Amino acid sequence: MSRAVQIAVQGIRIRLGRSLVTVSGVVLGIAFLMSNVAGQLISSSLAREKETRQIVTLMEALVRSEVGAASGKTLGIAVFGAMNRTEHLFLNRLSAMPFETIRITGGKCPRGIPCAPQDVGAGTYLLVVLGQDESAPVALDDLTRGMARVGLLDSVEARTYENRKPDGVKRELLFGKETVEQMARMQAQADQARFRTIWVAVISLFVTIISISNALLMSVTERIREIGTMKCLGALSAFIRRMFLIESAFIGFAGSVAGMLLGSLIPILIYGWMFGFDLLFRELSYARLAASCAGCVVVGTLLSMVAAIYPANFAARMVPASALRSNV
Amino acid sequence: MAFNRELFFENADASARSGFVIRAVEVRKVYRMGETETHALRGASVDIIRGEYLSIMGPSGSGKSTLFNMIGGLDKPTEGKVYIDQVDIAQLDPYELAWLRCRKVGYIFQSYNLIQVMSCIENVMLPMAFAGLDGEEAREKALGILDRVGLTGRALHKPSEMSGGQQQRVAVARALANSPDILLADEPTANLDLKTGEEIILLFRRLCDELGVTVITATHDLKMLKKSDRIMWIEDGLISKVTTPDQMNLHEEEVH
Repeated sequence: MSRAVQIAVQGIRIRLGRSLVTVSGVVLGIAFLMSNVAGQLISSSLAREKETRQIVTLMEALVRSEVGAASGKTLGIAVFGAMNRTEHLFLNRLSAMPFETIRITGGKCPRGIPCAPQDVGAGTYLLVVLGQDESAPVALDDLTRGMARVGLLDSVEARTYENRKPDGVKRELLFGKETVEQMARMQAQADQARFRTIWVAVISLFVTIISISNALLMSVTERIREIGTMKCLGALSAFIRRMFLIESAFIGFAGSVAGMLLGSLIPILIYGWMFGFDLLFRELSYARLAASCAGCVVVGTLLSMVAAIYPANFAARMVPASALRSNV
Repeated sequence: MAFNRELFFENADASARSGFVIRAVEVRKVYRMGETETHALRGASVDIIRGEYLSIMGPSGSGKSTLFNMIGGLDKPTEGKVYIDQVDIAQLDPYELAWLRCRKVGYIFQSYNLIQVMSCIENVMLPMAFAGLDGEEAREKALGILDRVGLTGRALHKPSEMSGGQQQRVAVARALANSPDILLADEPTANLDLKTGEEIILLFRRLCDELGVTVITATHDLKMLKKSDRIMWIEDGLISKVTTPDQMNLHEEEVH
């Protein structure tokens, strides 16, 4: 057994160039699988954060549809109570939009925005009401006085308003029923996409197996003389078969480890850049990630050995006379 | 087809028959490729005496290589029987065949067939490993054999670093690794220059005389024929004649 290992290792060392081609096939296949698995894992760990961002994007779209082009217009923001994370993010987005002026009252001013304690409404195109405190009644008259166009977006459905909506004030809910439906639609799309990626990963694994088989068959053909010679020296067929299986196990293991590292790196980098590395490393489930890594390596090694079965049998069954006669 | 039966013990008693290390009886070999059939051997019969130096000669296409493979246990006949040391090789299972190739027969090929990735001594030690001999004992034995073939001091060189003659010597050393009874050499001097070829032939002769090894070669080399005990001629799948070197006028005989 150890001799088979020794010869297999030597064989790989010498044929390093061609072994690398086989290894890279394994690396790519496993990297693809691992990137899908790791991607799913990270994505679900960051699910809450993703949802938040999706909501904020929707809210931003709502504002845009109400306001149209932001330049030259004034936006008014009134904050009542503490803001939740969604509202914080939304506020950041709003301050990044190219409004002429943004006036904010009640909350902490984001940098660079003039804060006016009153008269938020003067010349304001749109009023956005944020903050989770729904009990304190909001004096709508004061807020909307002097608004150029009366429109109101609110993030909390149950907020109390003093005196009922004055005529002409259109009140839209930032997070209303429509967005819930939209969220459901987006979730369904995400599920479809996930199914598709799993399907593609499975197919790519088949391709990996086939390419490993092919590369090993080529290797066997190249080494026909060597195999015939070994048989003349007394090597059993089982020995030859074992040699090729061990060689493919090594290649499979090395390639799987490399593929696993590459495949897990890419989603980490992408999601880290999108959501922030600190959030990523905080939320990530390391136990599940480690299990997926181990699983991918095992899968890759096993697949390589499965792919080697046919070439190994082909080599083991060779008759020395025809092997040595060949012109390869 | 007449051949010199005075040199054979026909239907002899067991003691005489035990003088034959290899017997081939009416061996036929047919190769089928698609619909065409090639009859490489058409009923060749060979009796090889223990401890002799036998050369097999024949033109290309005569079945020489096929017969060679048969008597060496490298292939099985389509019909007929081959006995190596009174054992019918067709009855051997893979383990026994491997044992035969490992312990009983040493093979030497025209193109050396050394494992390029291993050094000389590793090449010689490889069959020992298959025979279960390992470690320091194997190493010392291998060094001894390399000495005997005249390759002292080249143990760690790789085949690519050596000349053809030296590589052939390594091949001979490897064939001798497990002290076999039979040496099978297929055109051993074909790729060698005159001088090296002569050295190899002398080496075979010494192995035969000093160690009692049966040496069987397939060859076109006149120098080798002259040093043999017997020469077997094969033509068209059958043994056409068996002679001794002095029975032939080797300068006039057509070699091909």
